[in-house]
Amino acid sequence: MEENPQAEKPKKEKIPRQKMPEQNVSARIRNFNEVPLGYDPETAQREARRCLQCKNPQCVDGCPVEIDIPAFLQLVVDGKFVEAAHKIKEKNVLPAVCGRVCPQEDQCEKQCILGIRGEPCAIGSLERFVADWEADQGETILPSLLPPTGHKVAVVGAGPSGLTVAFDLALLGHDVTIFEALHEPGGVLMYGIPEFRLPKAIVKREVEFLRRLGVKLYTSVVIGRTIEVDDLLKSGFEAVFLAVGAGLPMFMKIPGENLNGVFSANEFLTRVNLMKAYDFPDVDTPVWVGKNVAVIGGGNVAMDCARTALRLGAKRVSVIYRRSRSEMPARHEEIVRAEEEGIIFFFLTNPIRYLSDEKFWVRGMECVRMELGQPDSSGRRSVKPIPDSEQIIDFDTIIVAIGAGANPIIASTTPDLKTNRWGYYIADEETGLTSKPRVFAGGDIVTGSATVISAMGAGRRSARAIHKLLMESKKV
Amino acid sequence: MNFQSVGEILDFAVAKEEQSAQFYDSLAAQVRQESMAEVFRELAREELQHKAKLLEVKQGGTFQPAPEEVADLKIAEYVVDVEPGPEMSYPDALILAMKMEKAAFKLYNDLAVSTKDAVLRGTFLALAQEEARHKLRFELEYDRNVHQDDY
Ligand SMILES: Cc1cc2nc3c(=O)[nH]c(=O)nc-3n(C[C@H](O)[C@H](O)[C@H](O)COP(=O)(O)OP(=O)(O)OC[C@H]3O[C@@H](n4cnc5c(N)ncnc54)[C@H](O)[C@@H]3O)c2cc1C
Ligand code: SF4
Repeated sequence: MEENPQAEKPKKEKIPRQKMPEQNVSARIRNFNEVPLGYDPETAQREARRCLQCKNPQCVDGCPVEIDIPAFLQLVVDGKFVEAAHKIKEKNVLPAVCGRVCPQEDQCEKQCILGIRGEPCAIGSLERFVADWEADQGETILPSLLPPTGHKVAVVGAGPSGLTVAFDLALLGHDVTIFEALHEPGGVLMYGIPEFRLPKAIVKREVEFLRRLGVKLYTSVVIGRTIEVDDLLKSGFEAVFLAVGAGLPMFMKIPGENLNGVFSANEFLTRVNLMKAYDFPDVDTPVWVGKNVAVIGGGNVAMDCARTALRLGAKRVSVIYRRSRSEMPARHEEIVRAEEEGIIFFFLTNPIRYLSDEKFWVRGMECVRMELGQPDSSGRRSVKPIPDSEQIIDFDTIIVAIGAGANPIIASTTPDLKTNRWGYYIADEETGLTSKPRVFAGGDIVTGSATVISAMGAGRRSARAIHKLLMESKKV
Repeated sequence: MNFQSVGEILDFAVAKEEQSAQFYDSLAAQVRQESMAEVFRELAREELQHKAKLLEVKQGGTFQPAPEEVADLKIAEYVVDVEPGPEMSYPDALILAMKMEKAAFKLYNDLAVSTKDAVLRGTFLALAQEEARHKLRFELEYDRNVHQDDY
């Protein structure tokens, strides 16, 4: 047998990748509970034992925040689960979140050496296991904070990027205040990603932890309206971190998008999540969804909308995607789950207008068949309509999940904050510093829609730069 | 519209590009965000480049369509009209631009259909093809950014 040159202990017993149990399909489409159920300790240890403890671990290169993956896996093997969680938290403050929502198949697990011949180590599932284990032990022990510095920092937006900055700066002894527009902190973790993929109790637990570190959090405050960025700077905050995400829904701008029954993904998911429609009938705020729903788009957000609509009681949910299945950007496991749950897929199909009944409710769409063209320089294949291929399909609800952009509120009230043409803030890649002195930015509002872990990585880099700025200003 | 020579047609096309450039420059002066002003200045520059290309063609004397077809994503056909104004977003600016190119394409195509002279018809078709190419550039940019593949 050929030996792996990187491995310290190459001879390993052959353990297959451990499957995580899941709720069965017929039950899960009628509830909002999490679909994967988590490992038990024995399964977790069996899976962690598959790790070869490589000397030059490729998985670490694949992780945007460079978690010491072999070290945490070894702690799992040794049964030191809480210590394993702490090891991850050295680099990632939200492991219970990332273990669930990171696209591991494109990051750490993609690089895992076991994946060359077989299946990679289930790093994400183990990250989730240790984080949940630690939480189940009762109140998490607070890390030691540095003595107060007296420096005040404002963070705008309580999504993963803002929460990370707040966490890092609080540990360094700074006085941090977060302003959040919505009535619940958490950003997309709270109002975007559905309960069945990321239970809201986990997000609440992480936010609570931040409060215990002394971070102040004001909700229902939209910066750029009554309070502007300049007001924050004038009122004693020495630095501001803008982490407002990319929450402005994109529409195709085709006729009929303003009909009743046509929603953006953002509006639909926010209503379900923030109005706790997933708890209906225990909570009295159901979200209306029709019987015959179409979701436009082929990414993770489209899958989230489709599966949410199904759980709210829709009889038939269809995903309308203009390319073919192999180009779908959604995570493979989410597509498979959607298919298992009975979601119908129309590939190479694109709406061109929505049709109305006499009361201005949507009753269907006219769409065209599409064909794929040649790949362009970036490898992306263009799509164009096939002439005379129009057809009408009946629907009573349309959810548009094609993309999201930058909300202009802050940029339009902060003249010296430079944006690019799509409205995203221009910020230094390493520090997050914008064109405005003492104002930093990170996450989706700089990069456009990306991932939780990249938003957190940006927060961490900016926290370092803000700390440096504050400590240097002390010397003056 | 009655054109007698290739030169006349090209003069007309040059004037149209010039007008479009002025239109975009006036929008650049109106919009509030500097990044959008830059978008419109860029669009104005593109129109002036088209104009320069036409002037070059005029020197050479003839202008005939290329054999390969320009792809039509038909986005300009399907999207609703937008009103130009100081708060315009970039996607709206792209819609405006693609619809202007589409209108120019249609004009030259119609002129080609109503022209009997083969040389003049060829010139109109070549101009129509140029406009189709400009439209495609805006449609691709719109498509790539509005339909986000990582959303
Ligand atoms: C439905 C959905 C599913 C997703 N699934 C995944 C996934 O599985 N895995 C993954 O890695 N990524 C996923 N993403 C992407 C990921 O959630 C984002 O990239 C990430 O949340 C960006 O973090 P952020 O902190 O930059 O912004 P956000 O999470 O968007 O947070 C921004 C916060 O700022 C607040 N805010 C905005 N404007 C103001 C203002 N003017 N004043 C005060 N507060 C303001 C907002 O209310 C929000 O709470 C998903 C996104 C969506 C929409
Ligand atoms: S944070 Fe994401 S990329 Fe990094 S190890 Fe965990 S799952 Fe992998």
